[in-house]
Amino acid sequence: MSSGPDIEETQTLQIPTRGRMERLVDHMKKDWQLYVLLLPTLIWLLVFLYKPMYGLQIAFKDYSIFRGVAASPWIGFEHFETLFNSEGFMRALRNTIAISFWSLLIGFPMPIFLALMFNEILHRKFKSTAQTIVYLPHFISSVIIAGIVITAFSPGAGIVNTVMGWFGLDPIYFLTKPEWFRPIFIGTTIWQEAGFQSIVFLAAIAGVSPTLYESAVVDGASRWQMMWKITIPSILPTIIIMLIIRIGNMLEVSFEMIILLYQPSTYETADVVNTFIYRQGLQNGQYDFAAAAGLFNAVVAFVLVIGANTIAKRFSRTSLW
Amino acid sequence: MSGVKLQSIVKAYGAVQVVHGIDLEVQEKEFVVLVGPSGCGKSTTLRMVAGLEEISGGELTIDGKVMNRVAPKDRDVAMVFQNYALYPHLNVANNIAFGLKIRKESKQDIEDAVAEVGGILGLTEYLDRKPSDLSGGQRQRVAMGRAIVRRPKVFLFDEPLSNLDAKLRTQMRAEIKRLHKRLGVTSLYVTHDQVEAMTLADRIVVMNDGRIEQIGTPMELFLNPINSFVAGFLGAPPMNQIKATIAAGDTGPLAQFAGGELALAPLADLQNAVGREVIVGIRPEYAQIVTEPTAGSVSCNLDLVETLGSEALLHTTVGDDPFVIRTDTLDKMGVLDAVTGFTAQPDLIKVFDADTGMALAGQTRAA
Repeated sequence: MSSGPDIEETQTLQIPTRGRMERLVDHMKKDWQLYVLLLPTLIWLLVFLYKPMYGLQIAFKDYSIFRGVAASPWIGFEHFETLFNSEGFMRALRNTIAISFWSLLIGFPMPIFLALMFNEILHRKFKSTAQTIVYLPHFISSVIIAGIVITAFSPGAGIVNTVMGWFGLDPIYFLTKPEWFRPIFIGTTIWQEAGFQSIVFLAAIAGVSPTLYESAVVDGASRWQMMWKITIPSILPTIIIMLIIRIGNMLEVSFEMIILLYQPSTYETADVVNTFIYRQGLQNGQYDFAAAAGLFNAVVAFVLVIGANTIAKRFSRTSLW
Repeated sequence: MSGVKLQSIVKAYGAVQVVHGIDLEVQEKEFVVLVGPSGCGKSTTLRMVAGLEEISGGELTIDGKVMNRVAPKDRDVAMVFQNYALYPHLNVANNIAFGLKIRKESKQDIEDAVAEVGGILGLTEYLDRKPSDLSGGQRQRVAMGRAIVRRPKVFLFDEPLSNLDAKLRTQMRAEIKRLHKRLGVTSLYVTHDQVEAMTLADRIVVMNDGRIEQIGTPMELFLNPINSFVAGFLGAPPMNQIKATIAAGDTGPLAQFAGGELALAPLADLQNAVGREVIVGIRPEYAQIVTEPTAGSVSCNLDLVETLGSEALLHTTVGDDPFVIRTDTLDKMGVLDAVTGFTAQPDLIKVFDADTGMALAGQTRAA
């Protein structure tokens, strides 16, 4: 009997399917130049952000620098228990939340407000001068900014106390008073960053089609109405994205500025999680305990980003992913 | 009377003048189309009427009132933009209602007006949708809805169909025409598309380089272009313009070309122009094909035949000048490749001065 063609083989048409990996390799071969460009960033991410994660395990270990990370014994959640029973950490957490909340509430709308104001300025020279003035603090070192603030609020020659003196008010040692720390800190960070942050919103405003405004002008809208009914809704997606990013960084309170401005007398309102970690980890050498606090901080930030993104996705069409 | 009158309107940006003192009177309920090539000043003129551009000189009146310094909102005009200018964050109903809300009309009036306009434009089922969920044609309808809902005295259209594909453009063109018939609002429409101008306009204003070249009904302009620019701008394909010399014939003037001669209308101005170098204009549809050289025909070299179905375009050359003939295809398909020349009816041939491009006098043909 002659061996005829295999019926199964002839009747089944095999469509070659390519796996994800094969497609990726194809893409990489095709656009290898682009992947080469990506490489430095990937290496940076791996070396500085992913490799250090190996050290996170010390949050669950009784870490000793002499034994090293691997040889230090596991102790489970002991550091976390200590952390949550520590009055210092709970105070730092409360302060972080309070400072973040007020910074978000006052500091987040400020660049939007500035961008809207800049957008309304018609005089070009005045506009560029005003923009330069508000952008400038961003380029000044935090140390110098802190120096300016300390000098401005000093009870002796500080401008604030001098002006208060003109009105017959007694001088106040602002930077030693816990009740004054948060307003001064939040005001300083807004002054330093609001102008620069407004660039993002200005760019978003520049992207709004001019015909929307022209159409509104013909319809009879005033500049105020155009701002509320066209500009703000048009830049809302940018506002939402920036808000999500800001919420993700909520617990990352400007650590250097606090270190530069606070002192033991203001710890009560000024000490935040990051300064707590700094003191415990670097000053007291409790690396494992500080790592637990840092990990907690990161987990909360992660949850906040996911939460903000989910809410943004549900209530608007904009989200980070 | 809600007409629009432009008297010696000038627009200048610093020392550069882009509109050079134009005069135009748009009658009440009239549909006037400004047409011309890019950069001719038609959109600038429209924007001056809307109040979006300051008028550098001259006087603009709407409904008999001088509007030069009147704010756009007080001119009682509505404008439809090329890119629709729809608010992406508002749904169709709110886009249409925008102008009424700005004018603080009552909620009930706004709802009624939106429902009525939605019905007129076939948008009722889309009122809750955002512009991003609509097709190009639907978006353009919303843009028109936003204009008509205010019941303005004048509609201004700035190339409203430019962003649509050819099929949709034809559809929307008819809708605009129907809408104008229904509402009877004075309309000023800007386009660079001469087909739009021909099909929509009661009168066409042909502009070039910041000046009005000619104003007239579509057929007036088509049949009696004042100069070679207008002749070349209106019509698709445009009027053929070839160099010729006027000669005296037995029965009247002749146009002599490289490949033959054509009899011209026996007009005094043409007879007086014997010996002059001129530009002869013949519309592609008025040239009749010949397959054998005959007296009174012009020889041409056939280059390409484009068959469009019911008709065909024959791309030929007369001497060095390109010459297009449009002919119907019924019973002629077999002979198209054998075309050797063309002839044309004398009164359908236009003669323009070779230097100025102006039509020689006396060639007017009733539309």
